[in-house]
Amino acid sequence: MLEIAFAKPALPSSGALVLLAAEGGKPAGLWKQADEATGGAITRALEAASFTWGKGKTVSILAPGAGLSRVVAVGLGKAEAITPLAAEEAGGHIAAALGAAPAAAVCADIFAHKPALAAHLALGATLRAYRFDRYRTKEKPEDKPKLAKLTVMLADHAKAKTEYAPLRAVAEGVFVTRDLVSEPPNVLNPPEMANRIKKLSSLGLKISVFGPKEMEKFGFGCLLGVARGSAVEPRMVVMEWHGASNGEKAGAKGAKKAGKPRPVAFIGKGVTFDTGGISIKPAGGMEDMKWDMAGAGTVVGLMAALAGRKAKVDAVGLVGLVENMPSGTAQRPGDVVTSASGQTVEVINTDAEGRLVLADVLWYCQHHYDPQFMVDLATLTGAIIISLGHEHAGLFSNDDDLAQKLTAAGTETGEKLWRMPLGDAYDRQIKSDIADMKNVGGRPGGSITAAQFIQRFVNGKPWAHLDIAGTAWATKESACVPKGATAFGVRLLDRMVAEHFEG
Amino acid sequence: MRVRIRRRAERSIHAVAIPVAGAEAVPPRFAEAARAAGFDGRRGSACLVHAPPGRVLLVGVGDAPGTDAARGAGAAAAHHLSDARRIAIDATALPSALAAALAEGAALRAWHGARYRSLPDPEAPALTACDILADDPHETERLWQSAEAAVVGTAFARDLVLAPGNKLTPRNFAAHLSRLSDAGVTVEVVNAARLRALGMGGLLAVGAGSAFAPRLIVLRWRGAFDAPPVAFVGKGITFDTGGVCIKPAAGMEDMRADMAGAAACAGAMLALALRRSPAPAAAVLAVAENATGAASYRPGDIVRTYPGTTVEVIDTDAEGRLVLADALAYTVAQVRPRAIVDLATLTGSIVSALGSVMAGLFANDPALAAKVAAAGAAVGEPAWWMPIGDSHRADLDSDVADLRQCLTGRRQPDACHAAAFLREFVGDTPWAHLDIAGVEDKAEADETAPRGPTGFGVRLLDRLVAQSFEDPEA
Repeated sequence: MLEIAFAKPALPSSGALVLLAAEGGKPAGLWKQADEATGGAITRALEAASFTWGKGKTVSILAPGAGLSRVVAVGLGKAEAITPLAAEEAGGHIAAALGAAPAAAVCADIFAHKPALAAHLALGATLRAYRFDRYRTKEKPEDKPKLAKLTVMLADHAKAKTEYAPLRAVAEGVFVTRDLVSEPPNVLNPPEMANRIKKLSSLGLKISVFGPKEMEKFGFGCLLGVARGSAVEPRMVVMEWHGASNGEKAGAKGAKKAGKPRPVAFIGKGVTFDTGGISIKPAGGMEDMKWDMAGAGTVVGLMAALAGRKAKVDAVGLVGLVENMPSGTAQRPGDVVTSASGQTVEVINTDAEGRLVLADVLWYCQHHYDPQFMVDLATLTGAIIISLGHEHAGLFSNDDDLAQKLTAAGTETGEKLWRMPLGDAYDRQIKSDIADMKNVGGRPGGSITAAQFIQRFVNGKPWAHLDIAGTAWATKESACVPKGATAFGVRLLDRMVAEHFEG
Repeated sequence: MRVRIRRRAERSIHAVAIPVAGAEAVPPRFAEAARAAGFDGRRGSACLVHAPPGRVLLVGVGDAPGTDAARGAGAAAAHHLSDARRIAIDATALPSALAAALAEGAALRAWHGARYRSLPDPEAPALTACDILADDPHETERLWQSAEAAVVGTAFARDLVLAPGNKLTPRNFAAHLSRLSDAGVTVEVVNAARLRALGMGGLLAVGAGSAFAPRLIVLRWRGAFDAPPVAFVGKGITFDTGGVCIKPAAGMEDMRADMAGAAACAGAMLALALRRSPAPAAAVLAVAENATGAASYRPGDIVRTYPGTTVEVIDTDAEGRLVLADALAYTVAQVRPRAIVDLATLTGSIVSALGSVMAGLFANDPALAAKVAAAGAAVGEPAWWMPIGDSHRADLDSDVADLRQCLTGRRQPDACHAAAFLREFVGDTPWAHLDIAGVEDKAEADETAPRGPTGFGVRLLDRLVAQSFEDPEA
């Protein structure tokens, strides 16, 4: 993880210097000092590049003099529009622009009166500097990214440091997610993922792991049906964080009586690899199906973030981990399975397995924890990509207030959601001739019928479902997200909890 | 079907429907029959009772019914009693607004449309007349007359959509609009030579493969006050083969309906004229046939649209956005409207997104979008607001032209891309776009609607105008 330090503004005598300004900014403070020390080289270079500090624009000036290896100018755009998100994006651009520099000092005078923005800038740089390179064994040193330390300089550096501490915990949660999602499917199978989650107990999370025997007892016929084709066993992992009730079992009956808040709950789809099962997928692009556990990975990262920053909330995260494989023991199209709720499901397409996993885990969650609300995350449907693309995740909810809170948190963190409809007309599409429902409703409204399916396992609780199939993995980088696993949802849910469910 | 509003039933009518608002409201003389049939007056339920010399249909509208429930009950009456020549619906226990809504639902459900049969049509309903029995016939009559215009407009749009590609062509499209001229709408046809002079490269490219040259048809309703009109723009592809990027054969016959957007605009104009709406309105229909021919346009072609924007053609089957681009820009420049709503059977993507339940709604103006959505909800033609994100526009950057027409590949948010594309052609004019692919045609008849074209959009536009554009001070 990128090392972040906050310090008093001082012109460095060597190394890289980052200058920040809004559109129309004039040299002042460190910028002016640096310009004078280099005999006006910076001003001349910026003029030559016609640089006007537009949002997201950067220019690098190599060896401008005064011992500096480089000066990187990063534009913040319109001064009145510098939100925490804009500061994060600027931080991301800094990390991307620094390239071969091992360390840099950032002149953040512009945030003198808003040290929180300096903290968000540091978060953005940290998020962008992430790299998953566990499996690179022969990379040449010159190809490795160098940036290891960023020193953010502003007068109130102590305040910025305080503000950064919880953000750093969130970044750590994001990295937990990105690591899990990036891992190959032969390494990260359900038991291995459960083992990795167990290690997070060092953060103060109470972690329980359930295997097929317990699932039989819980009546998880839907989840176990999906698992049948694989040589590895499924797991359900439950993570409890008692930030509000300090040690009592979240949601336990006693806690409720004592006036303790009911927990908030997050549920993730964790298909560690999805071949589609007997309804096997086409070969092209199947490797992407290693990230079909991104919903679960996001829930794990979120719980790590909440615990890492000691959030004052009782939260529970549940993930259903399973591998969907075709084999002689695999479930078939036409099979009927019985869910933990007692409702029966006719399996029409074995590749619509995510909703089967969520059905049982959601049911378990509401009956064991009686949560205030449930949010589930899943890379659930291709249809959501055809509906919305990769900029927004699909949001489905039975509760306008919850939906509104999620949407707002998404806008603030840049993890944008778009509300999609639910309704009886869609629900009718999953009527089965021989069971309570079937697991697909045809091509029209495919994401909506998937959500309708899940809703049948929600017992009137406030609930939201995030279909993150289009946003869990990035094929091109953006300001704070390198190519690959995005951890979409960790920051948005962390923000929603912080704004509405703590204290 | 003819609707008459009366105070009492005629003795000669032997099929009567009675709306029932919940179990308590079952008329005592049918209580036993209702109990036996398990009928409890719930919305969507119905129970046919034989009461010689006639039949009585109890139709549930639920407790505290609204216009939605009443429309549904009217439709159910027309559906279950379609073999009777004349029916009556007893709305005497209901407020006038619901009595009018019953009539509306029955009339919409009873439409069958002109078929092209030489032998008698076995599916044609016998039903031709419906009496609505109301406590206040005058008020009910007044309300029905304002709703009837849009019902007629809807039937008109459905008939246009039903017309196959060899009967309704770009050449004779305007001839099918004589009913609008009769009602006082001016119909202007911009022919191919004029399109060339205007530089409508999008519409001309799409129409190039066909034996029938494309047209732009401009409809104007003067209204009663002097103000910029509200404008409707419709995609009118009389048949869509896909062009050089030809569609698979299976299901291609449905592509006769690819002019449903233009039909809805024409139907809405007819409705405004029939009810003498005070609002000035205009409609611009982009009419072409997307045929495969030696002169067809190709993927890779670059076409210059009316405002000069160049477009790199990627897929000749994404033709709707090209004809709409020209039509939208023409509307902005020549009609100078207060607001534009366009309707188009534009993308398969919207069917994946919203199915056949709702249309996709895109807009550059949240206030207009909210009005369109509210109008749709009020008349039972729902539209769901969808995004035009920065990434959708960025995806349309082209290496060789101002815009890429679309993206290749199976998993694309093509409905969002199409909307981002269209937005480039409306400038600052408040604009909403309804992607009606999926809702323009109903695969199976049910209680609520007949099989075939729905006329989706006519009643929405009519209501939008009534709610938002008829106040000269607004």
